[in-house]
Amino acid sequence: MREALEGSLAIARAVALTKPDVVAAYPITPQTHIVENLSRLVADGNLHTEFVSVESEFSAASVVLGAAAAGARAYTASASQGILLMSEVMFNIAGLRVPLVMTIANRSVGAPLNIWNDQSDTMAVRDAGWIQLHCASNQEAVDTTIQAFRIAQETDLPVAVNMDGFVLTHTMEVIDMPTQEQVDKFLPPFEFAGALDPANPRSMGTLVDPSFFPEVRHSHHAALGKALAKIVEIDAAFKKVFGRAAGGLLTVEGDKKAKVGILAMGSVIGTMLAGLEHYQGEVGPARIIKLRSYRPFPAKALREAVKGLEKLVVIDRAISPGLGGLLGTEVSAVLSTLEKAPKVYNYALGLGGRDIPETMYRDLLKTIEDRKAPRFAVFDADLDKLPPEDR
Amino acid sequence: MVQITRGQWAGAGTSLDFKTGSWRSTQRPVHIHAKAPCHVSCPAGEDQQAWFALLQEHRAEEAWASLVNANPMPGVTGRVCPHPCETACNRVQVDGALAIHNVERWLGDEAVRLGWDYPVVAPADNAPTVAIVGAGPGGLSAAYHCVRLGLKAEIFEALPEAGGLLRSALPPTRLPRAALDREIDRIIALPGITLNLRQRLGRDITIDSLRERFDAVLLSPGCELPKPWSVKGAVPADLHEGLQLLRDFMDHGALPDNAKGDVIVHGGGNTAMDICRIVKRSGAKSVTLITASGLPGPNTAPDDLINVVPRELEEAREEGIEIIDHATVSRLIMKGSRVTGVEIISLKKESGKDGRKRRVEFEGTERVVSVDMVVPCVGEQVEPEAFEGYLDGAYFWPDNIYGRMAPRVFAIGDARGSRGTVAAAIGDGRLAAEAVVAELAGEIDPPADARPTMEADGLNTAYYANADRTRVLKLAVSERTFEAEIEGAISRTEALAEAQRCLSCGNCLACDNCWTMCPDNAVIKTTELATDGSHYVFDYDFCKGCGLCTQECPTGYIQSVAETN
Amino acid sequence: MAKSDTSKRLSELRMKHGRPPASPSEPKAERAATLREAQPRFRGLESGHRACQGCGEALAARLVMEGAGPDVMVANATGCLEVFTTPWPQSAWRVPWIHSLFENSAAVASGMESAMKAKGKHTKVLSFGGDGGTYDIGFQALSGMLERHHNVLYVTYDNEAYMNTGIQRSSSTPHAASTTTSPAGKERMGKRHLKKDLLSIIAAHHIPYAASASVAYPGDLQRKVRYAMGVEGPTFLVIHSPCPLGWKHDSAMTIEVARRGVQCGLFPLVELERGALTNIMPIREPRPVADYLELQGRFAHLFNKNDYRAQEELDHLQALADHNIETYGLRGEGLDPVDSTGAGHVRRGGPLAGRS
Ligand SMILES: Cc1cc2nc3c(=O)[nH]c(=O)nc-3n(C[C@H](O)[C@H](O)[C@H](O)COP(=O)(O)OP(=O)(O)OC[C@H]3O[C@@H](n4cnc5c(N)ncnc54)[C@H](O)[C@@H]3O)c2cc1C
Ligand SMILES: Cc1ncc(C[n+]2csc(CCOP(=O)(O)OP(=O)(O)O)c2C)c(N)n1
Ligand code: SF4
Ligand code: SF4
Ligand code: SF4
Ligand SMILES: [Mg+2]
Repeated sequence: MREALEGSLAIARAVALTKPDVVAAYPITPQTHIVENLSRLVADGNLHTEFVSVESEFSAASVVLGAAAAGARAYTASASQGILLMSEVMFNIAGLRVPLVMTIANRSVGAPLNIWNDQSDTMAVRDAGWIQLHCASNQEAVDTTIQAFRIAQETDLPVAVNMDGFVLTHTMEVIDMPTQEQVDKFLPPFEFAGALDPANPRSMGTLVDPSFFPEVRHSHHAALGKALAKIVEIDAAFKKVFGRAAGGLLTVEGDKKAKVGILAMGSVIGTMLAGLEHYQGEVGPARIIKLRSYRPFPAKALREAVKGLEKLVVIDRAISPGLGGLLGTEVSAVLSTLEKAPKVYNYALGLGGRDIPETMYRDLLKTIEDRKAPRFAVFDADLDKLPPEDR
Repeated sequence: MVQITRGQWAGAGTSLDFKTGSWRSTQRPVHIHAKAPCHVSCPAGEDQQAWFALLQEHRAEEAWASLVNANPMPGVTGRVCPHPCETACNRVQVDGALAIHNVERWLGDEAVRLGWDYPVVAPADNAPTVAIVGAGPGGLSAAYHCVRLGLKAEIFEALPEAGGLLRSALPPTRLPRAALDREIDRIIALPGITLNLRQRLGRDITIDSLRERFDAVLLSPGCELPKPWSVKGAVPADLHEGLQLLRDFMDHGALPDNAKGDVIVHGGGNTAMDICRIVKRSGAKSVTLITASGLPGPNTAPDDLINVVPRELEEAREEGIEIIDHATVSRLIMKGSRVTGVEIISLKKESGKDGRKRRVEFEGTERVVSVDMVVPCVGEQVEPEAFEGYLDGAYFWPDNIYGRMAPRVFAIGDARGSRGTVAAAIGDGRLAAEAVVAELAGEIDPPADARPTMEADGLNTAYYANADRTRVLKLAVSERTFEAEIEGAISRTEALAEAQRCLSCGNCLACDNCWTMCPDNAVIKTTELATDGSHYVFDYDFCKGCGLCTQECPTGYIQSVAETN
Repeated sequence: MAKSDTSKRLSELRMKHGRPPASPSEPKAERAATLREAQPRFRGLESGHRACQGCGEALAARLVMEGAGPDVMVANATGCLEVFTTPWPQSAWRVPWIHSLFENSAAVASGMESAMKAKGKHTKVLSFGGDGGTYDIGFQALSGMLERHHNVLYVTYDNEAYMNTGIQRSSSTPHAASTTTSPAGKERMGKRHLKKDLLSIIAAHHIPYAASASVAYPGDLQRKVRYAMGVEGPTFLVIHSPCPLGWKHDSAMTIEVARRGVQCGLFPLVELERGALTNIMPIREPRPVADYLELQGRFAHLFNKNDYRAQEELDHLQALADHNIETYGLRGEGLDPVDSTGAGHVRRGGPLAGRS
């Protein structure tokens, strides 16, 4: 059924459709509406779940870890500082191979304090060992949320569903809300073979010494590698039931024959597609690569997607100070094995919620026409605002 | 190849694959049955701890059966034994010794009352037969133990009744004749025991003939001949030697007239004590015991202590007997051949140059008291007539604990010279019987019990609840007669409660402490008895040797010994 | 779940774990293959763990598991207990058990309990932590768990320092104790601050039951575990667990040290229900604190005759013990079979207290 819904409410409803056993969360802008909406569903009797209002994100992550380990479908959501407070637990959840789902309403990380959107939070935990999916629209976010539960339990990995704070969470969009029948058909009941069970008492979270640790790490890496196919497979299965897919590992949009490409994650994709429409006459067409699966990183699909490109702009919504953009760096590294790899221009945009207008499409492509264009920049930073010694 | 599990889970209890026992470096806990001090000090060889353990489980008949494995006459010893076991009892360090003799007596009486059978079977018809001379406690015990061990026994007793001094000398106030008869009758009725009365060795038979006719000969004639007594050569004309006086009194119920006056009893044993009390009860003006030994007290050395039943001493004092310890009679003051006074001098046993103890009289401590009668009670010796060639002076003095004097000839009881109690005589009877069995089997000696003794400092007394010793009623002094038993009996409830006080020194109490407190789960509890007789075994695969169980074992049954590998 | 279902599940668990059937109606376990399997108690914490010799924490955990039984699951904070029980591929636990982090055992347990609720199961969730994981770093998660009223029994094994990382002081370390981060020296007499009164803070959460116990009194400890197991809601138990390594006492003396700790008043055994003191273990004859301290190397500097500060600190600790005795009214009146003396008593067949 198509409805105009705020992103947060849509996510809350999607979560409810998956019938989670345990939800634990702690409020933080811009995630708050999701948990508030879930609480409301519970209060009104529309969702039967153990809703645990914890005293911190650290505990939120721990509660869902405990719940999933005990065999329950578990969900949480957070953002920004909350993600960083969770980070120790996030590594743990993944290392224990506990399947659960979290929404990250992406937001910058302080200091300075800033509540607006970028993707610094999720980038800060990129090595936690989670599957990290990025959504470009609320429809994708709803669909990906439902898929995430299935991906998690079929891979024994936690899944983070990223959606840009405010830009998606607080925006009304007409959404094709799945029905309960559809979801039930698509998503089997929660199952976790490693769950704690008095009839088969196992010990989780053991101490592993150097004689096995590298193997454990390898297996975790391999599990994410194998998840690539799962993500594709489950998206296809989703399409069968719902009639639409949510973006697989990545999708190539815009002008597929263009020699210039733009690669990004999240809602900025929409902005670029709109920019393409308005400004391709001025700066030429571009291939738009929408990366959905950041972890696992789809190297093969990416190499396929850039075939024929001469230049590629990689938009980062966060930076790794002292290095540049993480996504850009990773893309460059992955493409470096190609014989004819496109030149990569890595630009950080919209940090801390700085507006990304459609004109950005034009500005980006214009910039890289110059042979001397920088390979990395905080693109929309106005350095005149900085004292000279801090530029 | 071990393969790692997804999420690195481990299976339940798989730590059993890791044998932490290899961490034990210096010590390991072991169960060591130590002897409880009561057992060690019991001349009869009873294991009080063992039968208390059964009583703690309310298994009275089994407790009695365990007791009579050593001592067939608990009804007697429970009444007359000086109970060195109680003196040795480790519970003294907590709140007072166990009332062992009272419970022993209760068990003995209970066995008679309920007709519990002695745990013996009839010896085979062709079993070796042992000749026993004397039917005092030593001879009776020897006969019983022979039967218990599968031998037959034939007793030769000079008198018309069995019992020895128990019958002829012990006052019924301490040992009622009914109690004595009941136990003796049950013993001599056992299959395999033949009792020949009025058969005196030396008069009716000889040792040689016995040695010829029997497989072994056990000599338990006691001591019948009073030791000569004089004070610096003076002997009163109307001398009444103590044991004879006592026997006469037991036979005729009367004492000489001068016993109504001031009486001095000279000596320091049971006879002296009984004489004092009987003379006093018969109406003597005063009775004073003069003894070279010391009275019980914190500073009294064990070898200086007066050799009487402690409670007899108490009772005697209650009855008004005066006691002058560390003293002797140094001069008799005579009027003609009659004694009218004695000079007393203080003395003490002192170590001489060679380290041996000798009596030293202290000049200047002499004092004279007037008396009507002096009764020497300085002991008896073996009547030598029948034992030519076996005696070493006054006694047999065998040089081994079994009493072996010659091949298949053993001495038992008072006649050995170093004894002097019923319990010792009973113990000798057992030792001799066991030695006979060993000798007949071609072995030298019975197996010795090499267990160590559990002293009080080996216990962890934190685990024992306070419990006062059972109070036993006694006849008030004014109600004491020549017949009525002075010390009362205890009830079943009291006996069982008293048994609960036993600390189980050196033997498992089944308290579960080790099982409960081992941090490594290395103590395993079993429903069936483990080979060492306890219900617990150490799992050395996992015991780390921390020593905690040793420390917390109340009874000292667990000990840490050096790890050998 | 219907009652018969519950008892069926319990009896299945009992059979699986070699526990004797609880009632005659329950089927008998198949003949146990080994003596160990035939133990008449639940071996929730099995041998083969790698605790030091005489470890009080290992003992305490074993006792708790026996009292709690097989129908539980455990969340365990990082610390000695966690490390010595679960070096992969081995585990000493015979119940479902999870270790996540140092500071989140109460939160993980909250999640497990929520899962049980959501699934309509009745398996009781236990949460374990050391004093570091409880008094300090996991305190917030614990407070949250109590406030949210999760049906969890939280047990803290109080060995009064961070042992697993090498004996650093925690807020539970007693005053004047020497640790690697509060060493005694020329300028310092060990830890300068006081032991945190955690139990009062816990009790202030108004939870149904909070208590302290000691490995020196296993019967009392297990009674408290059983009581807490029966409470629907959050319960809390702090167990005084001597650490031979960290306290520097002989490994054989673990129980004796713990016993003296209780008998001198420094570690009061108390029970609080809904914040109110409802029971205490009376001390029959309070012992001087020196009896307790002298067994432990961590207090050795208090016995230096040439240091005037030593006596001062001894007196200080004595005053703290006296204060406990006054505050909780620990002084016994006469012989009580469950006071600090009587509770230890045994007789043939087991402990005396609680027997008819
Ligand atoms: C007055 C008195 C009070 C005592 N009180 C106590 C007491 O309270 N507690 C205690 O433990 N001990 C007491 N004793 C000591 C105790 O009675 C003896 O130690 C014990 O009786 C020794 O036993 P026995 O078998 O060696 O000798 P006896 O009891 O003397 O028995 C020897 C037997 O051998 C017989 N006999 C002797 N010669 C021959 C022979 N040639 N042929 C055949 N038969 C012979 C005798 O007739 C006698 O029946 C007391 C002794 C006396 C005298
Ligand atoms: C966040 C974090 N900080 C520090 C540590 C290191 N660490 C592990 S266990 C431990 C101390 C444990 O002390 P306690 O909780 O008292 O348990 P014990 O080992 O004494 O039983 C510390 C500091 C950690 N694992 N995690
Ligand atoms: S308590 Fe356990 S580990 Fe320690 S010595 Fe005894 S049996 Fe061995
Ligand atoms: S601790 Fe108790 S059960 Fe264990 S050996 Fe000692 S007395 Fe026996
Ligand atoms: S260091 Fe202490 S707490 Fe840790 S295992 Fe050793 S004794 Fe137990
Ligand atoms: Mg600690």
